[in-house]
Amino acid sequence: MTQPDPGPLPRPAAAPPAHRTRSWRRRRAGRRLGGLAADLLIAAVALGPILWGFSTSLKPASEILAYPPELVPSRPTLEHYALLFTTGIHRFVLNSAVVSVVAVLLSLGIGSLAAYALARLRFRGKTALLFGIVALMSIPLPSVLVPTFTLLTSVGLADSLTGLALLYTAYQLPIVVWLLYGYFGSLPIELEQAARIDGCSRIETLRKVVLPLSGPGLVAAGLFVLTFAWNDFVVAVVMVSSESVKTLPVAIYGYLGFYGRDWGPLTASAMLSILPVIAVFLLFQRYFLSGMTGGSIKG
Amino acid sequence: MSGERAIETKEREGLRRRPKARRSPEAATAWGFVLPLVVAELAFVAAPLALGAWYSLFRVDYFELTEFRGLGNYWTVLTSTMVQQSLVATLLFSAFSLLFTVSLGMALALRLEADTRTNTWMRAIVLVPYVISMLVGSLLLRWIYSRDAGLSGMLLGPFGLADFSLLADPATAMAALVSNAVWRDSAFAMIVLLAGLKAIPGQLYAAARVDGAGPWMRFTRITLPLLRVPILIAVVRLLIHFVNVLTFALVLTGGGPNNATQTTGLAMYRLGFVDFRIGEANALALLVFVFNLLLIGANLALFRRGRSLSP
Repeated sequence: MTQPDPGPLPRPAAAPPAHRTRSWRRRRAGRRLGGLAADLLIAAVALGPILWGFSTSLKPASEILAYPPELVPSRPTLEHYALLFTTGIHRFVLNSAVVSVVAVLLSLGIGSLAAYALARLRFRGKTALLFGIVALMSIPLPSVLVPTFTLLTSVGLADSLTGLALLYTAYQLPIVVWLLYGYFGSLPIELEQAARIDGCSRIETLRKVVLPLSGPGLVAAGLFVLTFAWNDFVVAVVMVSSESVKTLPVAIYGYLGFYGRDWGPLTASAMLSILPVIAVFLLFQRYFLSGMTGGSIKG
Repeated sequence: MSGERAIETKEREGLRRRPKARRSPEAATAWGFVLPLVVAELAFVAAPLALGAWYSLFRVDYFELTEFRGLGNYWTVLTSTMVQQSLVATLLFSAFSLLFTVSLGMALALRLEADTRTNTWMRAIVLVPYVISMLVGSLLLRWIYSRDAGLSGMLLGPFGLADFSLLADPATAMAALVSNAVWRDSAFAMIVLLAGLKAIPGQLYAAARVDGAGPWMRFTRITLPLLRVPILIAVVRLLIHFVNVLTFALVLTGGGPNNATQTTGLAMYRLGFVDFRIGEANALALLVFVFNLLLIGANLALFRRGRSLSP
């Protein structure tokens, strides 16, 4: 915006009380009611399938297929959750957690080094690198699955948690670097210059000055990798086949074939997968939003 | 930020006087810092594509290259009915999903723009289908649409269609697939468009109001033109997603009935991991990837207009 900001326009003086007639109040109440109804409809569509799945997961097996269906289970039970744990779902939960945490640590480590260089050091090829990173962010994963499986199989990394964690790291590094690059660039450079004058090397400056100041940036980037790795299904279902290496989403997909029309355990496993994500999302909402636009719009 | 710029310019002028400084220790440090990133991307994104390109030229019997076929795999893939059908399915799915997702995202963005408490909560609620696992989302929709759940029976019963199965009819199965995309991805469109709306100065609306412009006039004459880049960004990024997405079709409809909802992503998956025709699967993957490169190029061009590359 080049034109000078004229400042906030003078607001028209508040309407005199005489205007607040009964019909004015009624119209206002009507608008509010309409707005509330619209909000309720939006929420019902967005959350309906999840709540319905939750309700199903709590119904005894005999009532799941009852017609007409009960929206709220009258005799809630945890039998499906118990069944999942007796058949060992915790192993898959553990696999998912391990892979996700390793991917977060790797991508934050590699990502903060690269982001620091991009934000603070001068070198040739920097612009090309930045464009490469943005291009990599938009590569759709399903389109590279076949070649990636071909490669991982030929080097023996397919069907291993290591291979999966490395893939997740490589796939999420571009967005991590991008978020941290923006964050590091917004820090005051004077502190780093002071550290340099005091004899800190670049890596010491990064470790002792930049990273301690970058908590929110690291949290945002880390959460992004965490939910990606925890949620991922397409990469894992292609790369993983052994029981011991299966992550939670692959196990859930397996249940779809195994339990067939038995939706009790299926919906229960679905709830186990999404409850942690929803909790983390509600706690750290604003961090998610910064990553979603991928920095494509100054917000 | 401007202070930093000034320092950089000064340093750059200094550099110009000493041409040797190009190979400065700083550049060496910088390349050391970005090396792990570059290696990771080369190893897990570039190398697979290169190897896939090589494999696509051969007949492959379970990862053994047996016979050089040149572009034979590409020809087989392009002339196969399965792939051609999948292209039609992908086109239908992408076009309808894009239309509804962007429209709904726009409606949501306009409705939830003001930063009130209610709106903040509503935005979070709309985002829930987007942040949970795609697999689980499609699974839950499959349960809702299945005849067993009894929900579709309850809704369709009054129309005499109590026994109708949504996922068993080609047209309604495609509609179900589109609804999965709209349910999950409208939130993404909303977020991108909200960021764009925030950047429109409020005085423009105030001025238009003073000039007597109604809500529709303000929307078409101010909002839409100024949202052009965010809208295009949403369209391109969603298109990349829809053209390639695998989970929706694999989990919700399984590509059925009669391959009516078998998108190209799913066809590729079946070719590679069900039929194990690795040569042909790689050929199809590369064809799709070349198409993606066009979309990614468009995305990059928009990115340069949406914001500069500096932090």
